[in-house]
Amino acid sequence: MGSIKRISKELTELTQSPPEGITVELVDESNVYEWRVIMDGPEGSPFHDGKFLVKLSLPTEYPFKPPTVSFATKIYHPNVTNDDKGSMCLGMLRADEWKPSSKIAAVLQFARQLLAEPMPDDAVEGRIAEQYKNDRMRYEEIAREWTRKHAC
Amino acid sequence: MSLSKPTWNHFPHQPFPEKQNPFGFYRDTFSSSFFTPVALSLSAAFCHPISHSANMNALSADEMERFQKLSNNYQPEVQGPLVSVKQSSHSIALDYSNADPTLATKTNALAITHPECRIMKGDGNCGWRAVAFGYFETLFALRDPLRIETEIQRMKSLTSLLDRVGLSDSIYEIFVDATEEVLNRTHAAIQNGAQDESFLVEAFNEGYSSDAIITHFRILTSAWMKLNAHRYQAFLPMPLDQYCSSRIDPVKTEIDEVGLQALIDGVIEGSGFGVEILYLDRSEGEVVTPHLLSSNRPVGATIRLLYRPGHYDLLYPVETTLAMAPIVNLQYGMTSDYTPWDQAALGFDVNSSLMAIPNLMQDTSFGMGAPMSPMPSVSPTPASPFRMSPQQEMYQSPMPTHAPIPPIPVSPPPQIAPPSAAPPPMTSLPSRTSDGPQIRLNPLVMKPNLSRSLPVTTPFKNSPYNQAHFQNSDFEPIHWEPHERR
Repeated sequence: MGSIKRISKELTELTQSPPEGITVELVDESNVYEWRVIMDGPEGSPFHDGKFLVKLSLPTEYPFKPPTVSFATKIYHPNVTNDDKGSMCLGMLRADEWKPSSKIAAVLQFARQLLAEPMPDDAVEGRIAEQYKNDRMRYEEIAREWTRKHAC
Repeated sequence: MSLSKPTWNHFPHQPFPEKQNPFGFYRDTFSSSFFTPVALSLSAAFCHPISHSANMNALSADEMERFQKLSNNYQPEVQGPLVSVKQSSHSIALDYSNADPTLATKTNALAITHPECRIMKGDGNCGWRAVAFGYFETLFALRDPLRIETEIQRMKSLTSLLDRVGLSDSIYEIFVDATEEVLNRTHAAIQNGAQDESFLVEAFNEGYSSDAIITHFRILTSAWMKLNAHRYQAFLPMPLDQYCSSRIDPVKTEIDEVGLQALIDGVIEGSGFGVEILYLDRSEGEVVTPHLLSSNRPVGATIRLLYRPGHYDLLYPVETTLAMAPIVNLQYGMTSDYTPWDQAALGFDVNSSLMAIPNLMQDTSFGMGAPMSPMPSVSPTPASPFRMSPQQEMYQSPMPTHAPIPPIPVSPPPQIAPPSAAPPPMTSLPSRTSDGPQIRLNPLVMKPNLSRSLPVTTPFKNSPYNQAHFQNSDFEPIHWEPHERR
């Protein structure tokens, strides 16, 4: 099956030359569709020094359907649902914007970039987005606190 | 676009407001992106079985949120296979029978000029899928294994476009593999003498292979556009890179006019196939508006698309020209041959009734006597049946036919027999290549009700086969009956 071929190649590429602040491994060596990703909080963001566990699952129709990205580590962010799922779905991860020529590496870099620069207009957590726009100080304070509490 | 479009079959009565722009492109003002999702989202919410749903204000925030979610995730049911089997174009005419009279007239005429069609699923990929399927199908219909090998090489060499725009091999190889795989299957089908293209319909209804081939064609188109930006930028409402990443590359984005042109230019043109698009809209006229998208002339192998605003299907014209051509050639050759020729030298009896048998002259072992030899029309060269012979080019069909040489396999004419050889018995007459109607209709004189009056079965009045003719053995004069009309 073509999708396994492509996923394996992408996995090899990502383990051999990982992008900055991102390390990947399979949850279970026999299943290429479930990945465990450790994402370092980007420098200059309130998530700096935190290590976030991110789950990446690939649909069997990959690369014709996008991967899904969810934060297993709790994070205070307007674009990540503040529940036990911690899901993130915007931009290139949306089913209707997904391009089969996009790489998983690009997906992970996009997710990490989002930690540094949230997109409050596309928020899933409206309250956090409001705070991000109107009271940046308080937002960063809470985000740092959550990072210390959950991601260190 | 989060919602895929419904097939147009379901909305035959919608008006299609549109104009032709100076470049011959049609702009679809009835864009589903601002109409369909709203309508469908609302229906999704209202159809939910909640007793007080009529009063939206009574809903709690939770319920509203749930409805919003339902509405966001709503996917309209799109019926049918990704690629249908060939079916009668009358079904299209039927869809429009109660619609605008212009559309009814055009679809009725279409069912006669193009009696068969193949419906694509309206899931956002229909235009891409129609062109891709048409490409493979046309290639298969040529039944030329060498040509397929050439195409496999060409498809492989096109990957250089992908390299040049910076796509890596690990990303695109599975798409190229899928195209190559189906090309190989086509090759094998020809070698195994497959009867029809059902293996292609099967391949295109497999989700993976269908998606991969479409993606391959998408990324090739996108790369082609980026490398030939000067040809397309002027027609785009946004920077070309942004256009490619939002309109060409994403899954399930419908192809538009510029994208289609680029797909033809970049991917299909090299195959030598013509691509013709027939616009079904409410513009003036009684027939659909044809437009040639390729610089290849639509002779022989041509992919024909039917465009209805927002949707593409495939069309197949009447296949009769090949069966008619040889007679015409002979007559041309005879009238241009001014040297008096001796009838006795011909290997067969040239009488008018024999000459009326279609295809008789297709067997080149007939009439190869010396007086006939200057006639170029019976050249014994077993040329490809899809290349135009010089006569066919010289002979101008008096009818503006929409049916050029159909891609029907014809075995090359047998080798020339020695002039002294006796003609083969009549039973060895080449059979007709097409079971379809042998009447070519001029679309200009066609009327919608013509379809009902065909075929003409009663003999002509002045024919001896008519009982009313005095030479008929059962001659019986016509009696005028007052209750009869006429």
